[in-house]
Amino acid sequence: MSNIVVLVKASLNPEVVRQNPDGTFDIDYTPLKISDVDRNALEEAIRLKQVFGGKVYSVTVLTWGPLKAREKDLRLVVQEALAKVADEAFVVADESIIPGDYSVTANVIASVIKKMGLNPILVLAGEASIDESTYQIPGRVAAKLGLPYVGYVRRIREVRDGRVVVERDLEDYIEVLEVPLPAVLSVTQELNEPRPPTLIQIRMASRKPVHMLTLKDLGLDVKRQRSIVEMRVVTVSRKQVLIEEADVEKAALKLVEYLEKEGVLRL
Amino acid sequence: MSDVIVVSQKPSDAGELIGLARTMGNPVIVAFQDSAERVEELLGYGHRVYRVKSSRPEVLAKAVNILYEEFKPKLILGPNTRNVKDAMSVVAGLHDIHMAPDVVEVRGEVDGVIYKRGFMSERVTITVKVPYPTIILANPRIAEPAPKGGVGELKELSFDFIGVKVVEVKPKELSGINLEAAEVVVGVGRGFKAKDDLRMAFELAKLLGGQVGGTRPIAADLKWLPEDAWIGISGKRIAPKLYIAIGVSGAPQHMSGVAGSKIIVAVNKDKAAPIIKQSDYGVVADLYKFIPTLIEVLKRKRGAPHST
Repeated sequence: MSNIVVLVKASLNPEVVRQNPDGTFDIDYTPLKISDVDRNALEEAIRLKQVFGGKVYSVTVLTWGPLKAREKDLRLVVQEALAKVADEAFVVADESIIPGDYSVTANVIASVIKKMGLNPILVLAGEASIDESTYQIPGRVAAKLGLPYVGYVRRIREVRDGRVVVERDLEDYIEVLEVPLPAVLSVTQELNEPRPPTLIQIRMASRKPVHMLTLKDLGLDVKRQRSIVEMRVVTVSRKQVLIEEADVEKAALKLVEYLEKEGVLRL
Repeated sequence: MSDVIVVSQKPSDAGELIGLARTMGNPVIVAFQDSAERVEELLGYGHRVYRVKSSRPEVLAKAVNILYEEFKPKLILGPNTRNVKDAMSVVAGLHDIHMAPDVVEVRGEVDGVIYKRGFMSERVTITVKVPYPTIILANPRIAEPAPKGGVGELKELSFDFIGVKVVEVKPKELSGINLEAAEVVVGVGRGFKAKDDLRMAFELAKLLGGQVGGTRPIAADLKWLPEDAWIGISGKRIAPKLYIAIGVSGAPQHMSGVAGSKIIVAVNKDKAAPIIKQSDYGVVADLYKFIPTLIEVLKRKRGAPHST
């Protein structure tokens, strides 16, 4: 079988940063949403599913608690994956792996893929999540599965003779590569234009299987490495002066006056 | 015995990383894609240098992995570049060790390190403690550059590599401008309707002695600007005295790249655009009317001392 696995993260939404009175970051009340670039991976899976003919599975590991309070956000993320392309969803929600730890998350993902017999020809993931942006889960998962890994894929050109031809976006150059399958690819937002799922797709999604798993189900024992010492909200104190004039000349003059006062105008 | 592996990609990153490594242990250096002069320069720090003749992430991962197994280091230090991040994620996975990219502060302790990095598109900072061994990928200005001294030993690191095959390498179209060093930056976003219209932004930037950069859609998707003009979390992080964002909505991924600006001006016709609240001066106006007028006003101003 030539299945595709898409890693989909329920990320903390950076547009809704909640703060405790003491200036620390209030994780518990910051909502989760699908990590944007995972949408590109899902979109590409639609196309590749036709090429490979197998099933598409989404894998999601909950990394932020409190578990109870995350049910709704998590459901929406999984629903989107199912509505877009996935035939079945695998979700690991377990108190013992919250808050997430990169090594643990990668081990859990690899374990789901192996123990649930997903047997992928391709594992697709967004290059990074919108909350932590550490760009490391796909590479770790590849190492755990013993598969070739190519990151920053911005175009998947073709699949031929058990290989996939991709363009990857490195620091100073772009490479065209032939990657033997099975493989793990991380993708960038340039890959495609993700379309929102249609109403019919969303309705269909509710009939697809969602497998809720714990570490016990996976028979997995993990060791967390990081302890979070502190999370502090960065306070940006911008002046927020609004210049709103019907006459653009007036607005321009006003702006120039302000900038001169700030001493940042050098003509 | 060496217990810190320093990965160096560019001439500019080595000094600081070696400086940091020396505060935490006894370094060896892995350098790649290097000219003879550059290797000579690296040897001048007095540490052993392993040279790898490719900057491809899978080759680098294998090289560092070989050294990891030889030295069993407590720390791998590297620059926060795409190639190095990608390679180190695989090394981290192979050995189940922690990896922290984008690190802005780090301190060694007896049993591990404490580091700080941005989180939530730089709107939150997170301080973390992890045990040794670990991988730290640092942002520029992480430490004082190390003083040179001594002559290091050079070793070539070569091995067979099978798996991913390179079909073609295409250099990126780069402008060569240094946005990070610019005092004034004009940023352009999707408010511009056509590539030609960017001329306004360039004229404004020229008038102010600045450079032009853009959001991800402009630089990476539409390619109206070269890729090194892309400002944001995955592009350049800038810290000018004046940043003028024109037709930029203010997505967190972009704003985190301009957080270091002294003054931020936003020009947007939508008063509700997120950038308005994240700027010092928010001009609510149609950029197609406002920017030409602003250019006129500035020109008049510049001409004023002479004409009166």
